[in-house]
Amino acid sequence: MEQVRLKANVSSPQQSRLAGAQLGAGLGLKLEHLDDILALPRADTLPAVESLWFEVHTENYFVAGGPRLNALRSIRDNYDVSFHGVGGSLGYDHQSMHEHIQQVKALINEFQPVLVSEHAVWSRSGGTYFADLMPLPRTQDALQSLVDGVDRFQSGIGRRILIENPSNYLDFTSEMDEPAFLVEAARRSGCGLLIDINNLYLSSKNTGIDAAQYLSQIPVELVGEIHIAGHDPDPELGQALLIDSHASPVDLAVWELLQYALTLFGHQPVLVERDANLPPFAELMNERQQAQDCLEQCRHEAASANVSLGEIR
Amino acid sequence: MAFSPYIDAFTDYLRTGDTRGMNDYCVDATQLKRLAVYRNGFYKGCIDALAANFPVCEKSLGREYFNQLARLYVDHYPPEIGTLVGYGEYFPYFIRDLLEVLEQQESMRLSASLVDLARLDYAWLTSLMSADATQTLTAEKITWLVEHGEDFTQAQVTLSASVDLLRVNAGTLNQWLGFKTNSPDVEPLVLLPEGHMNLSELSQADSAPAVDTVMFWRLNDAVQARLLSVPEVALMRALQDVGVLEKAFAAALALDPSFDVSEVFSACLQNEILDIDLTKYNYKN
Ligand SMILES: [Fe+2]
Repeated sequence: MEQVRLKANVSSPQQSRLAGAQLGAGLGLKLEHLDDILALPRADTLPAVESLWFEVHTENYFVAGGPRLNALRSIRDNYDVSFHGVGGSLGYDHQSMHEHIQQVKALINEFQPVLVSEHAVWSRSGGTYFADLMPLPRTQDALQSLVDGVDRFQSGIGRRILIENPSNYLDFTSEMDEPAFLVEAARRSGCGLLIDINNLYLSSKNTGIDAAQYLSQIPVELVGEIHIAGHDPDPELGQALLIDSHASPVDLAVWELLQYALTLFGHQPVLVERDANLPPFAELMNERQQAQDCLEQCRHEAASANVSLGEIR
Repeated sequence: MAFSPYIDAFTDYLRTGDTRGMNDYCVDATQLKRLAVYRNGFYKGCIDALAANFPVCEKSLGREYFNQLARLYVDHYPPEIGTLVGYGEYFPYFIRDLLEVLEQQESMRLSASLVDLARLDYAWLTSLMSADATQTLTAEKITWLVEHGEDFTQAQVTLSASVDLLRVNAGTLNQWLGFKTNSPDVEPLVLLPEGHMNLSELSQADSAPAVDTVMFWRLNDAVQARLLSVPEVALMRALQDVGVLEKAFAAALALDPSFDVSEVFSACLQNEILDIDLTKYNYKN
C-alpha cells in the first residue's frame, strides 16, 4: 500500500476541550465478543485495559428489552461507552426525526455515554430509510440543512454531539471543500467533529484530495474523537475505488495518517471500527493496543516538546 | 445547485438504479457508475438485516435464493425508520403473496412451510426484543395476596410482553427448531427447562391435528418455545382476552375435565409468563 507523505506539525497541540478527553483507544462493540470482553482482567489489575472503552451503533439498541440491552448494561458496568448513530439522517428529512431522537435520548439517559456522535450525511427521504450513509453536496443549502438537523438532534437529546466526515467515492457539484463545510456546520450548530481517518484516506484516494491539507484545516478545539478502520478495493474497479468496508484490518497508510493527525490534534479518543468479517477478539485487541501505543507516543512527544519549550524559556 | 432536487434525484436513483437524474450533480459524468457504492450499501444493509432477522428462512432457502427474495422485499417494503433492528415485519406475508403468484405461474417452487418458518423467525425475534417484565406474578406474590384475604383467582393478570402465540401448520415448529438448533451462528434456543417439551416430544406433533399453536416467551434472556395442547391454548387465549385466572382455568377444564390446572399454573409461574399489577392492593415487596 502506497504511503501517505506527511509533514508533521512540530508545535505542541492544544488539548481538546470536548468530553471524553480521558478516553484512550476503544473498540466498536460486537456482541459476538461479549464473553471475551467480560473475561478481560479488570482495569485496576491490567493497565493495558485501563483506558479501553467501547462504541456502539445506537440504533442497534432500539429495543424494548431483552438480552441485547442487558449485554450493553454489563459492558457499561465495566467500561465507558460511546453512542455512534448511523440512522439519524441529520442532513435531510428532519420532520421524522422526533421519534428517533426520543429513542436515542432514552438510551442516553440510561447508559450515560461519554460521547455521542452521528454522521454528516443523509439517509432518509420520501418515507424511506436507506440504511447507509448518503453524501451531502457541499452547498450552502445542504450546509444549512445539516446545521438544522444537528441543532434539532442536540436539542432533542440535550447534549452536544460530534459529526463524522463521510467516505467519498465521487465528487458532487460543490461550493466549498469538506473541511470548510464541516467546520462551518460545527461553528453554526455548536457540535464537535469526529474525524474518521480511514474515511479521509479513502476520500483522498477516491477523489484526489490532499489528506494532510484537509487535516490542517480542522481546528483542534473542534475535534472530539478519531476513528480508524479497514477498507477494501471495489470488486469491479479495484484500487481505483476503495470501499469503507470495516471488514479488514486497519491499513498501514491509515495508521500513518492517524499518527500524523495525532501530532495535529493531540490526545483524542481513538476508536478501531470493525463491523464485518470479524476476527477473534484478541486480534482486535492487538489493533486497539497499536492505537493505544500511537496515543502514548503522541503523549510522549507532546511532553518532550513542552519540556524543551520550558528550557528555552 | 438546489438541495431538494438533488435529494429527489438521489432517492430516485437509489429506488430505481436510474442514474440519469444525477447527471447534473456529478462533477465527472464518467464517475456516475460509482454511485453504485451507495445503492449496493442500501441493499446490503437491508438484506443482511433480513438474513439476521429470518435466520431459519435464510438457512432453509440457502443464502443466494434468500437474497433474491429479500431484495424483492426491499423493493416493495423498504425500511421506514432509522433502524434495521426489527426490519421485516411484512416479510412472512410478502412470501405468502409471492407463493400465490408463483403457484399460478409454476415457474418456481417454494415450500408452503416457508411462510410459517418466517412467521416463527419473526415471533422469536419479537419475543427476544420485547420489554422486560417488571410485574411478574410470582408464588411469593400469590402467598401475599392470600395472606391479605384476596382471592388471587379473581385478580387481573396479563401475559408478559414476551409471550407470543401463533398458529402454524403441524410439524413446522419441529422443522424450524431443527434449522435453528443446528446452526452454530445463532443463539441456541433453550429447549429443556423443566416442564417443557423436548425435541422427541415435539416430533410427535407431526401426527397431531393439522394446526399447531406455538408459544414463545422469554425466560432469563433466552427465548423458549413450546407447543400448546388444546386446553392450554384455551387457557392462554382466555388470559389474553379476559385476564382472570378462574375464567382461564374454566376455559381449559371445559375442553378437558382432567386438565391439571395446578401443574400448568405452577409452570406459568416458574416460566414467568404472567404479570400482575398489585398497585391497588398496596403490595410492598
Ligand atoms: Fe467511522
